[in-house]
Amino acid sequence: MRRALTLVLPGLLLLAACDGGGGSSGNGSSTAFDPATCQGGTLTVLNQGGITHLDPARLYTSGGGNIPSLLFRTLTTRNRQAGEAGAKPAPDLATDLGTASDGAKTWTYRLRDDVFFEDGTPITSADVKYGIERSFAPELPGGAPYLRDWLQDAASYQGPYKQPEGIKAIETPDDKTIIFKLSKPEGDFPFLATATQFAPVPKAKDKGVGYEAHPVSSGPYQVESYEPKKSLILVRNTHWTTKSDPLRYACPDRIEVTAGLDGAVINQRLTSGAGQDANAVTTDAVVGPEQLAQLGNGGPLDKQVARGEFPATYYLAFNTKKAPFDNQKVREALSYAINRTSVVNALGGSTVAGSSTTFLPPQKALGYQPYDPFPAGDTGDPAKAKAVLAEAGVTNLTIELAHANDDNDGYGPKVAAAVQEAFKQAGVTVKLTAIDSATYRDVTGKPATEPAASLQYWGADWPSGGPFLIPIFDGRQIITAGGNFNLAQYNDPEFNAEIDAINALTDQSTAQARWGALDTKIGKLALVIPLAHEKDVFLFGKNVKNAVPDGWRGTYDLSRVSVK
Amino acid sequence: MRRALRDRGFLFGAVAALLMVLVAATAPLLAAAAGQDYTTYHDNLLDSARGGVPLGRFGGISGDHWLGVEPGTGRDLFARVVYGAQVSLGVAIGATILEVLIGLLVGTAAGLGGRWADTILTRLVDLVLALPILVLAISLLAIVPPDWPRPLLLATVIAVLGWGGTARITRGETLTLRTRDYVAAARLSGAGWFRVARREILPGLTAPVLTYAALLLPTNMVVEAGLSFLGVGVRPPTPSWGQMLSSATTWFRADPMYVFIPGGLLFLTLLSFVLVANGLRRALDPRQSEVLR
Repeated sequence: MRRALTLVLPGLLLLAACDGGGGSSGNGSSTAFDPATCQGGTLTVLNQGGITHLDPARLYTSGGGNIPSLLFRTLTTRNRQAGEAGAKPAPDLATDLGTASDGAKTWTYRLRDDVFFEDGTPITSADVKYGIERSFAPELPGGAPYLRDWLQDAASYQGPYKQPEGIKAIETPDDKTIIFKLSKPEGDFPFLATATQFAPVPKAKDKGVGYEAHPVSSGPYQVESYEPKKSLILVRNTHWTTKSDPLRYACPDRIEVTAGLDGAVINQRLTSGAGQDANAVTTDAVVGPEQLAQLGNGGPLDKQVARGEFPATYYLAFNTKKAPFDNQKVREALSYAINRTSVVNALGGSTVAGSSTTFLPPQKALGYQPYDPFPAGDTGDPAKAKAVLAEAGVTNLTIELAHANDDNDGYGPKVAAAVQEAFKQAGVTVKLTAIDSATYRDVTGKPATEPAASLQYWGADWPSGGPFLIPIFDGRQIITAGGNFNLAQYNDPEFNAEIDAINALTDQSTAQARWGALDTKIGKLALVIPLAHEKDVFLFGKNVKNAVPDGWRGTYDLSRVSVK
Repeated sequence: MRRALRDRGFLFGAVAALLMVLVAATAPLLAAAAGQDYTTYHDNLLDSARGGVPLGRFGGISGDHWLGVEPGTGRDLFARVVYGAQVSLGVAIGATILEVLIGLLVGTAAGLGGRWADTILTRLVDLVLALPILVLAISLLAIVPPDWPRPLLLATVIAVLGWGGTARITRGETLTLRTRDYVAAARLSGAGWFRVARREILPGLTAPVLTYAALLLPTNMVVEAGLSFLGVGVRPPTPSWGQMLSSATTWFRADPMYVFIPGGLLFLTLLSFVLVANGLRRALDPRQSEVLR
């Protein structure tokens, strides 16, 4: 009895405290959430993937990432709004989204006056420039490749260690102004400026490869301890102020990240919420069937779930340089034969994936326009596929399909088996080739070793049509050395010219309409079979508040959740 | 044999084991009788919003799908289970036969050959017995090209790594048998070693080797299930019980039937074969039965 009493009392106190502070115990609903009074407590982050790198030059993030965004402020960042409104950038270190001149070939930013590093030194434009230059160093690989392509005469720059003179295309006329000179018009520059490569790095503190042991923070938290792939503990950066950063609420006093856990274990721990797990979240463990069975029936777990959509497409890529996929009729026939319902179920069901007939996922920000050049319904039309094959004079077709050897990324054996069965209905025999998932993208990304057909996944580097259509269909992006994503090896000068024309647009809504039209046009060629788009369902602990998924990343934002 | 038939455990085991072998042998017929095959997806029988668990009670058991359907794909579980029996039993039986053949050959050669042959072969057997079967089998199966016939390969790999025990037992028995008077008589009447081995030694080896083989069979089934569980067994879409158990690990709360069906069958089959082996041993080796009782 005594034990029960001690358990009950703190609970009552906690409730009283909540009521007094005007806070709401309704999880996930932001109606009564007040960022001014959310501070306190320790947030636990349980993750599958290890944090392999913590150097802003080496992180490849969309919109600045979730955990990285707690440490690094960038010129711009995602605006952290829910739903469709969230697919837009917002100023972060800069005072605005940048001023374009010279037909979007020159971008000028001015830094805020009230931004400081964790040691109290003010952040200058030279620090931002130095951070970008570091990301060009071959010693620090891994970041997004766009800047090398976009900046004037920077393609062969080898980083500040080998070439301390720096990149001429980035000018810093004074401590607060930074100017980027691009080789071609890029209306999406404010989106790119959300990448962690745009985080300031103080040159005096740079230790090269060893910098990531303790990167100098510009955000609300700083590193207390970091063990790669295992754990990361963040504490408050006292030189960061709420006033200088309206987007990050920075509610918890302390954030403890544990990595390398099993996805099923994470979701089980979030569900049961024992002890510290009640204050836990995850940034990468999507719910499994065990939790899905408990969702949607008004049970307690329904209050602990955030649903969003990260713009991403699962698709089947054809190598049009290899038979039989050089024949458009064959590709069309298979597009009729595909059973997207089976694929969605193989991906985990309609709660975590939706069938897609377009390469662009269904987000307005990307310019999505619904179309289906090969209408066959969700379950496919094997009869029509057979007819198209017969028309092309193709009989007894046997194809090889490459897939990864595990299902973690959505292009593994389960999806491959679903595709195999769907094509079998149309009389096409599919031989499956499993490739080790660690080297999968290396094998498919090198035209010399690229399989005739392979399962693929593409997510948006930022919510716009460009980062979706350019790497996949721009003929000038065929990279023979490796790291190629234009798997169809499609190169049409007219198509490439339209890409350049849209890139020059700074008006997003015009650009969106034209990206959508371009996607519709390319869809008719059946260079890929779009299979499904991603839906994200993430659980969070029962004490976690304001876990609202943002429209850019599809998951809740660690800089906004509270455990108080 | 009559002694064995009086043993209730043996009787139950034998009937169950025979039934299982019959099911495996007639898998295509049984699946056809159910009107199902093991590859067709039935997406309409799944609750897609809940991750693809089968609609209906007990994993979607119905008149069409006697054991329900597989979560995530909707493939008929009855068809997959009977075809899975084919793989599980086929590989285990094939591996056992191979093991017995290799073991008999090496064992009699060691027992009847000279001192040198015996020393070398015995060391070889020791080596094989010391091999970590699972680890080696995984690496062997991982490097072979994917289009080789998988069940045959599995049986061969299991046998090549597992014949040590049969060889050792055969050698020991051969050593005792060769000192018997009738063997000496055969030798004196001019019979060669090969003829002696065939006519005089082999019949005497039947009882111990048969008993040992009956115990090997369930062991081999477990090895096959283990390899399939670890993903180096038969290639999908060919089903096997170990593979089904492996994919069931993520479903065991959402759809418990998916775990119980292959798991329960594997348990029952193993139990029946172990009962058969024990019954055989008691029947063929009276001394052993007295010790046990």
